Amino acid sequence: MLQVKDVVKSFNSGDRTIKPVNGVSFSLEQGTFAAILGKSGSGKSTLLSLLGALDKATSGDVIVDDVNISTLPDRKLTAYRRDDIGFVFQSYNLIPNLSAKENVMLPMEFAGVSHGERSKRAAELLNQVELTEEMHGRLANRLSGGMQQRVAIARALANNPKLILADEPTGNLDDETGELIIALLRQLAHGKKTTILVVTHDHALAAQTDRKFRLARGQITEA
Amino acid sequence: MGVVSRSVGNAFRNKVRSGAVVVILAVAIGLALAMLVANQAVGAKVDSLKASVGNNLTVNPAGSRGGLGGGNPLTTADATKAAAVAHVTGVNGTLTVRLANAATASTSGSAGGPADRGGAAGRFGSSGTTSLVSAVQPGVLGQRNNGTGSTGSPTGGTAGGTTQPTFTIPIQATGVSSPTTAAGTALKLTGGAQLSDFAANSTQALVGSTLAAKNSLKVGSTFTVQTRTMKVTGIFDAGDAFDNNGIYLPLAATQTLVDQAGQLSSLNVVVDSIENVAATQAALTTALGASNVDVTAGSNNLQSAITSLGTVQNISLIAFIASLVTAGLIVLLIMIMVVRERRREIGVLKAIGASNRTIGVQFTLEALVLVVLGTVVGAVVAAFSSNPIVSALVAGNTGSTVSAAGPVRGGGFGGGGFGGGGFTRTRGAFAGASQLIGTISTSVGWQTLVLGAVGILAIAAIGALIPALLTARVRPIEVLRGE
Ligand SMILES: Nc1ncnc2c1ncn2[C@@H]1O[C@H](COP(=O)(O)OP(=O)(O)OP(=O)(O)O)[C@@H](O)[C@H]1O
Ligand SMILES: [Mg+2]
Repeated sequence: MLQVKDVVKSFNSGDRTIKPVNGVSFSLEQGTFAAILGKSGSGKSTLLSLLGALDKATSGDVIVDDVNISTLPDRKLTAYRRDDIGFVFQSYNLIPNLSAKENVMLPMEFAGVSHGERSKRAAELLNQVELTEEMHGRLANRLSGGMQQRVAIARALANNPKLILADEPTGNLDDETGELIIALLRQLAHGKKTTILVVTHDHALAAQTDRKFRLARGQITEA
Repeated sequence: MGVVSRSVGNAFRNKVRSGAVVVILAVAIGLALAMLVANQAVGAKVDSLKASVGNNLTVNPAGSRGGLGGGNPLTTADATKAAAVAHVTGVNGTLTVRLANAATASTSGSAGGPADRGGAAGRFGSSGTTSLVSAVQPGVLGQRNNGTGSTGSPTGGTAGGTTQPTFTIPIQATGVSSPTTAAGTALKLTGGAQLSDFAANSTQALVGSTLAAKNSLKVGSTFTVQTRTMKVTGIFDAGDAFDNNGIYLPLAATQTLVDQAGQLSSLNVVVDSIENVAATQAALTTALGASNVDVTAGSNNLQSAITSLGTVQNISLIAFIASLVTAGLIVLLIMIMVVRERRREIGVLKAIGASNRTIGVQFTLEALVLVVLGTVVGAVVAAFSSNPIVSALVAGNTGSTVSAAGPVRGGGFGGGGFGGGGFTRTRGAFAGASQLIGTISTSVGWQTLVLGAVGILAIAAIGALIPALLTARVRPIEVLRGE
């Protein structure tokens, strides 16, 4: 379902070039729950942003369901981000002046879902990540870090993406809530055949995944 | 929660800044609206002035004024030449002559000897006689010569033993070939009908209202010019005492009666459009010879008034455009600021599937909310400022126009409802801020208003779109990462 072929991403910082992703290749079957591990600054977030079409690789191909997103024009990339990908940012990135529910409704608005349907589904998703009704209407910037993280996860699930890319989805959660999110992701991967790739330092999470990769010095190895 | 409500919400995210922007926009838009009102008001005035000027030029023999004096009289050949000049659509020749009262003329004529001087004065360069008695009394028009003559008369009479002849103002007879005055406008009749028989043996005549009253003439009454008995077909009112002391006769009959066949004292030339008047004036002067004729735009002074009004119109148009552009720049700068501030948010929206168009629409709507609010407040500003602005523009202009109109009035064009009256009306229309909406909608017209609104909104949309789209075009990660 996902094929990553010899992907390189280099940055020019000052007079030297750094390559946090330097020739990464791997592939995932549909419905796989996979984790990427690695030290801070090893390039995990950089790799995820390439897979989510938030950034363009310096070289190499990212192929999702036989479509090479490295060569897609901007309009197609918009559709890819909207319909195929659910992205959970390491720093959540909610829209601060919208409520939790409005944040979850946004991707559905872009996909043209009716207001009634958006509202209904957003409420369901927020309930799934155990955000109580009274929090649904609260502005995103008035939520705790863990609550914001759960809203971000709910938002990533909104359009039923076939690939979920989550950067440290349990990083800010207590063990109990973390377990809940892990169970939810497992259920999506194994029940709904959603392919899930998480970046994590959380051993509890890594232990639950089907495959584990380690990123170091720009290279990926399966652990 | 759709894009519209999100944009409205975003417009008030920073309330202090949005409030300040609305106030600044209101001033700019209010000024633009006030300038639009001023522009249209002055434009309407110019149109009405142009309409009152008409497209006429007057050709007189060089050095003459009002049909008296000057060099060689004009002829029908000149009329033919004038008609051949480009943009000339019509030529009306007129012959203006002075008719002395028959009784007075013969009395003074028979006095002989020293009375020759008086005789000449009595005839006052007249070219014929009439049975009519002038309605304008000596002195009425400030005839100081005659006044001195009158008071000197007893003295002179006893001393010199001669009788100073009674001085009378001659009656002006204008021969016309169509029912128009020398200025090219139709005479206003208070009774009877316009001239219709323009043959050389016609006995038709129009008599001025004061002259008719003085001589107890009614429609159908008769009087004589030279030896011919004329019949009053109509009584006219030309608007002032001097003109109303005159008569209008068919041109051919006038030429025959005073024995000036083929001669004309002035040509009234009709030009196809007001824009060509100046060029045609020059062309006519060349065609007829600068040393032979004076060609006057019957309206030289009026024309200069129109020019000065036109300047005011241009200034207000420039100010209108400048204010609009200012409003546009304010929106552009504010949106550049807002977009920079929310780069990260744009990155997030793109990352979760927003198209560039969606982002453009969202920021444009946000700018429009500010502009619409600015326009509403600006309309209120305009309501209070357009009154003083318009009256300042128009009043300042009234001064110059009235002084320009002064000599024109003396020249006989004053009657055209031009002068203080028109401006008083304009100013009256702008009295009271509460009338603004009505005034704009009537004087500016809804089409212009809609056009102005579309213009403001278009400028705002462009101001918002440029920065939003420039930002949205980059890869999400670049804006997500921030500066
Ligand atoms: N736009 C950029 N310009 C220059 N260097 C960059 C840029 N983005 C990332 N880097 C560098 O790439 C390396 C990898 O960063 P990345 O954010 O992918 O690390 P990470 O593995 O996600 O770390 P963490 O676990 O702390 O989140 C870092 O050294 C970082 O400084
Ligand atoms: Mg990271």
